[in-house]
Amino acid sequence: MNIPITGSRPHQADPHSPAPSSRQDLTPDRYAARGAPGAVTLRGVVLAVPAVVPVALVIGVSVVGALAQSLGLMPFIGEPVLSTDAWAGSAGDLGRSVLVSAYIAVASTVASVIVGFVIALYVLATPRMGRIIAGLSAATIPIPHLIGAGAIGLLLSDSGFLDRTLGLPPAFPTLVGGSWFGAVIFEYAWKESAFVALVLIGSMSRSVSGMCDAAATLGATAWQRIIHVVLPLSRPALAVSALIVFVYTFGSYEAAWLLGPTSPEPVSVRAVRLFGSVDLAARPEAMATALVSLGAGIVAILAGLAMMRRSRGLR
Amino acid sequence: MTAAVTAVAGLALSSCAAPSPETPSAFASFDDVRAEADGQTVDLWMYGGDEQGNAYVDDVLAPAAAAEGVTLRRVPITDTADAVNRVLSERQAGRSDGSVDLVWVNGANFSTGRQAEAWRCDWTGLLPNMDLTDPEDPLLLNDFGTPVDGCEAPWHKAQFTFFYNSATVNDPPTTLEGILQWAKDHPGRFTYPAPPDFTGSVFLREVMLAAAGGAEAVPLDFSDEAFDEHSPAALDALTGVAPSLWREGATYPRDEQALNTLFADGEVDIAMTYGPATLTDLVASGALPDTTKVLTLEEGTVGNASFLAIPANAADPAGAMVVANLALSPEQQAAKADPDTWGQFPVLDLGRLDPEDETLFDQLPASPVVPTYDELSRKAHGELSAEWVPALDEAWRQEIAASR
Repeated sequence: MNIPITGSRPHQADPHSPAPSSRQDLTPDRYAARGAPGAVTLRGVVLAVPAVVPVALVIGVSVVGALAQSLGLMPFIGEPVLSTDAWAGSAGDLGRSVLVSAYIAVASTVASVIVGFVIALYVLATPRMGRIIAGLSAATIPIPHLIGAGAIGLLLSDSGFLDRTLGLPPAFPTLVGGSWFGAVIFEYAWKESAFVALVLIGSMSRSVSGMCDAAATLGATAWQRIIHVVLPLSRPALAVSALIVFVYTFGSYEAAWLLGPTSPEPVSVRAVRLFGSVDLAARPEAMATALVSLGAGIVAILAGLAMMRRSRGLR
Repeated sequence: MTAAVTAVAGLALSSCAAPSPETPSAFASFDDVRAEADGQTVDLWMYGGDEQGNAYVDDVLAPAAAAEGVTLRRVPITDTADAVNRVLSERQAGRSDGSVDLVWVNGANFSTGRQAEAWRCDWTGLLPNMDLTDPEDPLLLNDFGTPVDGCEAPWHKAQFTFFYNSATVNDPPTTLEGILQWAKDHPGRFTYPAPPDFTGSVFLREVMLAAAGGAEAVPLDFSDEAFDEHSPAALDALTGVAPSLWREGATYPRDEQALNTLFADGEVDIAMTYGPATLTDLVASGALPDTTKVLTLEEGTVGNASFLAIPANAADPAGAMVVANLALSPEQQAAKADPDTWGQFPVLDLGRLDPEDETLFDQLPASPVVPTYDELSRKAHGELSAEWVPALDEAWRQEIAASR
């Protein structure tokens, strides 16, 4: 009974297989098929127009508006005067904010990718308990970050729940409002690892069990199966979700504002503070800060996509 | 593609110039206002973090407005600047039927709106109940140094107040300098909210006045010379005390609520508020310990008034005026002054009331925590002009928050 099933699984999974030979065979055909009939491309463009135009228009107008405000061309009072003060005047602070945001985003992404991968492994390996863990992970996702950050604050702050119940030693690091943004990274890692796990499970669940069974039949240990089967199989999904987590945590505001220290400020917190400033002259600086955040996000996406494409090409 | 970019750029740039202040149609008399207000829905945007304030508006003010034919809808916001921003953005977009009809505002937010000509002006003279206020009251004539000019109707008075936990502080300081010295003597037991939080910002200005030797020493009007003369002493004083603050001054509570939480958790022993009215309820509900006591300073503290303003592009200005007038009525001011309701100090001149209305105020129960307004506001001084606020906040951020 068992034998034909395990025997047939690798064949079923074959189209998803990342084996180099099949990929190389497929690639030229795929590109040829996509490039050849021009009508299909045009039709595709026409079909995409209703979705793309509003998005492009909204983003375009807001970016152009923000740029104009940052250059002093859309003042609330007085005549528009072209000025780069908002950019040049605070370049040092702006650079520091970018570094802080990048640090938070890198740390959160690394933590959530590792934890998310482990969760996905556990869910795929242990069907019954795994379903409970998968359910818990899925339930984490709709919780808004603001609520999550508030809860983390109540849990981890100096006289928070943990301290009251466990009586943490004085040497325990201050996470909420601490200079290393510990609580902020913890919040992102908690929420985003669930997201990473869900993406991984969704992308691998069909192919992974068959391949792992095959590898096990051939004598691979559990560790070898993780390294040589699950990890390569999960790489595309892992890379895409890591990119999403990075860009999201780079620009996210609530947790950094609620759980971070007064100074240094991440880009998002700085942008919102300046935007809400009672000094109308701070508005151009706020817009410059927001645009820097947007620019950093775009650079990260382009770099990530280029890296993914190159690693695919190498294989 | 190029066409699209040009179109987008054109769209954005067409709204480039500052919006020209349109003159909203004026009303000849309050009867005209009443006639037009009938059936209108007024959106009152106000700070939503004060539950007593929310309950007062929903349960007391809104039903009274309904009796005058106006539906009052409370829009809770986390910061008054959000409402001002909304008005400015809507005006920039050319909307004349703005979604904000009435804002609880004062100080820097009011002055920001005035700079951008975002408020409707010269309307408070129409309100019959304005006659019950003292026309010479300095707190009602100038809002943080910005002339009110009928652009906002008074609502409450407030007094900046320190409070302490009498269970842990045996001999409370009696001056602001004393508070800073107390902080140095008791490391880790004092802090203040990080400016630009409203309360932290007030504390910063109070420290500057104390360091200058009193409120009279600093000119109310902002000038670069005055700033250069008086701000270094304040920043020095705060830099000196920083290592003795909570968390060695490495970080500061985000806002007044965060400071209250530290106070309630016993992490600090002295805290501060610009809304002493809320203390009664906070103590009664257990949010603050019942050993909380108000700390009055020998040199007095700063006082202000807060107002209701109507944006120039409000969709229902007549309804908003009816609500502003109602909020000034003796019944509403007395109900609002009851510590069990909200405890906000009235703006009316009690001498101008009918004897009947005056008894409304005489019958108010005393708060077990907060002294009377007369006692709190003894030797009070007015607010500096609004330009001081962002200048000092920024200096604090550069010199104290960033260098630790």
